Amino acid sequence: MDPDLVLVLRRATVAYDRDPVVEGVDGEVAAGQSVALIGPNGAGKSTLIRAVLGLVPLTGGTIQALGRSPQAARRQVAYVPQADILDAEFPVSALQVVLMGRYPRVGWVRRPGAADRQVAARALAEVGLAERASARFGTLSGGQRQRVLLARAIAQEPRLLLLDEPFNGVDALSQDLLLAALARLRAGGAAVVMATHDLGLAHLACDEVCLLNRHQIGFGPIGTTLTPELLRATYGGQALQLRGDGVIVARP
Amino acid sequence: MNLFEPFTIPYMQRALVEVLVLGALAGAVGVLVVLRRLAFVGDALTHTVFPGVVMAHLLGRSLLLGALAFGVLTAVLLTAVGRHRRVGDDAALAILLTSFFSLGVVLISRTRGFTADLTVFLFGRVLAVDRTDLVQTLTVAAVAAIVLAALHKELVLRAFDPEATAAMGYRTGTLDLALNLLIALVVVAAVEAVGTVLVIALIVVPAAAARLLADRVGAMTALACLLGAAGGWLGLAVSYEASVDHGVRLAAGATIVVVLVGLFLLAAAVAPLRRRRAAAGGHP
Repeated sequence: MDPDLVLVLRRATVAYDRDPVVEGVDGEVAAGQSVALIGPNGAGKSTLIRAVLGLVPLTGGTIQALGRSPQAARRQVAYVPQADILDAEFPVSALQVVLMGRYPRVGWVRRPGAADRQVAARALAEVGLAERASARFGTLSGGQRQRVLLARAIAQEPRLLLLDEPFNGVDALSQDLLLAALARLRAGGAAVVMATHDLGLAHLACDEVCLLNRHQIGFGPIGTTLTPELLRATYGGQALQLRGDGVIVARP
Repeated sequence: MNLFEPFTIPYMQRALVEVLVLGALAGAVGVLVVLRRLAFVGDALTHTVFPGVVMAHLLGRSLLLGALAFGVLTAVLLTAVGRHRRVGDDAALAILLTSFFSLGVVLISRTRGFTADLTVFLFGRVLAVDRTDLVQTLTVAAVAAIVLAALHKELVLRAFDPEATAAMGYRTGTLDLALNLLIALVVVAAVEAVGTVLVIALIVVPAAAARLLADRVGAMTALACLLGAAGGWLGLAVSYEASVDHGVRLAAGATIVVVLVGLFLLAAAVAPLRRRRAAAGGHP
């Protein structure tokens, strides 16, 4: 397999009780590339991300991350969930959350060392939150919490980064900082896969797009794949939301 | 009230060591129970361990071993139940809890003079703790403390973000089983001191009080251990003074729990003042 390819999907299919949730996903992501997973709610974006993480088994096709099975590649894959599902009252500081990203490398029993703390502090600075390191996680704004979760992923020093709707409900400043941090990660050779509703941000952050609606409708460069016809096929008769400006309703 | 004089007597000394160790251990484990909102699971565990204690007593074997066997069994069962969503966690737990507990009561009620035994199992008999009991408690406590220290950061991670925990490659099922086993160990260690009904207070109350006052898991744990130990010490002193100086018989185990609740109420009263002071100080 081409060593430059971080993620390879070949007709990947996930089904629960014989009911396919997402099927026929086929594509490749090289180092430094970024793919947007686009599709309506229930399209299977989150399921596909969980499959790449090795958290749900495939019922058909294959997924190879860094030339290995998803479970074997976990050490080099980082996941950024949506920040609002976390308990805002949890007694943990921003830096401590980022430090959690180092746990798999630290291993069992041992505590994170000075080197781990440095990596965590640097990751927090990358997302512009160095001066909030000792603030309790829950006292931060939604956008700041999302940045902390990205910093946690950065601290894992991943080669593949998976994000689930990272820009949902995030303020403009946080958005810019997230985009900048993602760009730096890509410049460093990491590949990025992000599920998003925001087509404008997909254009800014990604060079490829995978259109999903329970099955793959398209996978390719954003310029040639994010077309009105393919979008209509993806969303059916639903509304499409552009960044802040307005809504396009695709006619069925 | 004298906080030191009662403890010159050997049986009071043993009781004190027992409650200090149990209070600190239950406090530390309780932090994870409170953060994960597992108080009901913890309570269920204390009830499901009960028939193990009864069976061990009826067979003339060590209560500790009986409790331990059932503690492990029920920890495994509860972990399995918790991971299947069909029946609903609460309902399944309630079924397990009541059926096991009733089994224990049925078994014990077949012996003559069962009410006295029942009281001991349910509410403990900390003042009757002898050297062997103490050594057993300390051994179980040491094992639990070692396991807790070894797994602590992963247990906190799992409490905070179960999705990321799984994504990082940890088996959340194994971590959940480990915590349930820790709770079971605490219950086993506490059976003779405060009994199965009151041990849940030892686990939950100091940690809940610490939660009100601390903003970091580390501080919360230290505070919970301190409050747990302090409650044990004060409770023993109060029940001793009441019975010796005032002729009022106060069950030692239950008095400890009442003291702990008092400490919790104190923490609840102090907490808003602390928050106001922090806000006025211009914390970010």
